[in-house]
Amino acid sequence: MDSDLVLVAEDSDEDIEAIARALGRSHPDVRLEFLRSGTGVLPRLTAAGAVRPGLVLLDLNMPGESGLDVIRLIRARSELDGLRLVVFTSSENQAEAEACYAAGADSYLYKPINFALFQSVLAQTLDYWRSREPNVTRMVVPPPGESSAHA
Amino acid sequence: MGWAAALHRLWSAAVTITSREQLAALVLPPLGELPGVRAVWGLRHAVHGDGVLAYRWQGVPLTGDLQSLVRELAAEVAGPAQVIELDGRLREHGVTRIVAARFDLPGEAPGTILVAVDGTADTGFVGACLSQVIEVTREAVRRLSVIRGEQEQQVRDALLAEASLQMDAVLDTEQTMYRVPRMAVPAIAEGCLVFVHTDGKPQLRSAVHVDMRRLDALLDDPAGVGRLAEPGEHTLELRARGRVIGLLVFLFDRPAERIPPATFLRDLAARAALAIDNSTLYEQRRREVMRMQQHLLPTRLPRTDGLELAAAYTVGDRVLEVGGDFYDVVVRDDGAVAAVIGDVCGRGVDAAALTGMARHTLTTLLQEGLSPARALTRLNARLRLDGSWRFITAAVALLRPDGDGYAVEWTSAGHPAPVIMRGGGGAHRATGGGVPLGILDVPRLGPSALRMAAGDTLVMFTDGLTESRDAQGRMFEQDGLARALGRLRDAPVQLLVDELTSSAEASDDIAVLAVRVRECRGQ
Repeated sequence: MDSDLVLVAEDSDEDIEAIARALGRSHPDVRLEFLRSGTGVLPRLTAAGAVRPGLVLLDLNMPGESGLDVIRLIRARSELDGLRLVVFTSSENQAEAEACYAAGADSYLYKPINFALFQSVLAQTLDYWRSREPNVTRMVVPPPGESSAHA
Repeated sequence: MGWAAALHRLWSAAVTITSREQLAALVLPPLGELPGVRAVWGLRHAVHGDGVLAYRWQGVPLTGDLQSLVRELAAEVAGPAQVIELDGRLREHGVTRIVAARFDLPGEAPGTILVAVDGTADTGFVGACLSQVIEVTREAVRRLSVIRGEQEQQVRDALLAEASLQMDAVLDTEQTMYRVPRMAVPAIAEGCLVFVHTDGKPQLRSAVHVDMRRLDALLDDPAGVGRLAEPGEHTLELRARGRVIGLLVFLFDRPAERIPPATFLRDLAARAALAIDNSTLYEQRRREVMRMQQHLLPTRLPRTDGLELAAAYTVGDRVLEVGGDFYDVVVRDDGAVAAVIGDVCGRGVDAAALTGMARHTLTTLLQEGLSPARALTRLNARLRLDGSWRFITAAVALLRPDGDGYAVEWTSAGHPAPVIMRGGGGAHRATGGGVPLGILDVPRLGPSALRMAAGDTLVMFTDGLTESRDAQGRMFEQDGLARALGRLRDAPVQLLVDELTSSAEASDDIAVLAVRVRECRGQ
């Protein structure tokens, strides 16, 4: 698993830009990989040799498979056990939150309009889940001869 | 590259970083380039206690047993660069001595940089370079702390603004209580719970946590939930209009220095309390209105052999005052049945009093055998006598057995025309007419006659039904009513009235009264 990699399934251009800008500022060490629909998430995670991200950030309302569908698909795959699934939505529907949890989501986050708040929500969520990883000591300076970690 | 150039580059880069995570990659490598240096290790200490938050390195990886050794060495370091003799402890890495320095900044995680050197290194030079790097690091951390402080302030301002906006947007208590913790998590806390005092005891009404599984585990333990409602550092009273209405509890899972100031948490709690109190009062008032409305209407309709009767009443959305719609049915001694429907203009206590008076006046007079026209005239006279500026639309359907059906005498005083649904299919509006009561000294009434056969239904209603609008702004009367009646053609009469009142998007109150002629008399 690469805990510095976050996979984002999001169809809105504005939200993609905002997520990239927010996490680029708060967590410059984190790499982001964007998928524009829910449909590509499972194939991306289960492809041979695929790098497993530290966290998957999901929009709920996307064309094709919704965020909720994606959670169910991922939780049906035992090889993806323990993968952190974070739903990021502006919905205020409590039943939706419960459905996401029942399906196996780890977090159900409010997507604020204000950018400072938006950045804080993402940063705190990432900090929280990274602090729960068994190995919190991470190498930020690649030893000589290894260069990929800081690309 | 000479040290002076490296240092210059370091200073330029140090003012551009946006996170402390970027610091090690910046400050450790230049030291690693110095002659005789085998490794450079960076430790970020906890603000309180002697824990280490992060290990960073350049050269020999700082992992496993090496971490505890280096932590011990770092514990001896305070302030400016100093040389530590190792007595062979790191011989396997070719390291003979350590040059180390530590920096402390109030409220920030302190850091120690340890430069591991072999026998060839000039520790005096390494120490001088290290002191300069420590200076850069301290400045970078100070700058990050200022930026972070500003950002946190921005986040708190934004949260208060957004919270006020969101919480004021709903009048539903459950929604309000859910929105408070939902806004707070995880921007300012990892978890947030709302307790509301019921019979003097705090009851958990909503809870949000960034980690849904942890929340679930927490809620599974009632004793644990109870403990959270006990006074504590992060348990805030929800106080509105001088009363404590509940508690707002924050759960933190972050370093102490990232916990928002108490003044901010109190501010948020004050806004939440007001929003919760507003929505609670609103709901209370609405419940009272609905209860009072029920008192203005008959608790049950009479039973009659040949007719099936049903009525339904819906209080309009967001209505906080008692409306003036009324209906009733009386069976006269001669076997005739009088169905009354009406609507007092306006809302509130005065309208309610008039509603009660109008209904009782009409039903009493009709019960005594007065004709609908005379009963309505008497009510009109009463309204004129009282000098009431309010007017009433009302209508009476007097149904008399007539062969295998009923002859209906419909007398209207400015009331919407009823619908007659034929048992064999088809529905049409009957005649309205007349002028509302309370306007003219001599009332102008609209009389008309109908005949109802077995299976026919007379549907009477107030204008709340016909004038309600759908999402497109079309009045229900335009085609919604006809569609609903078509759909409900074969429905039992109670279902018919219930469905009619709920199929219109009511902004005003709606009363519907339906009378159906039984297919077989006496059953």
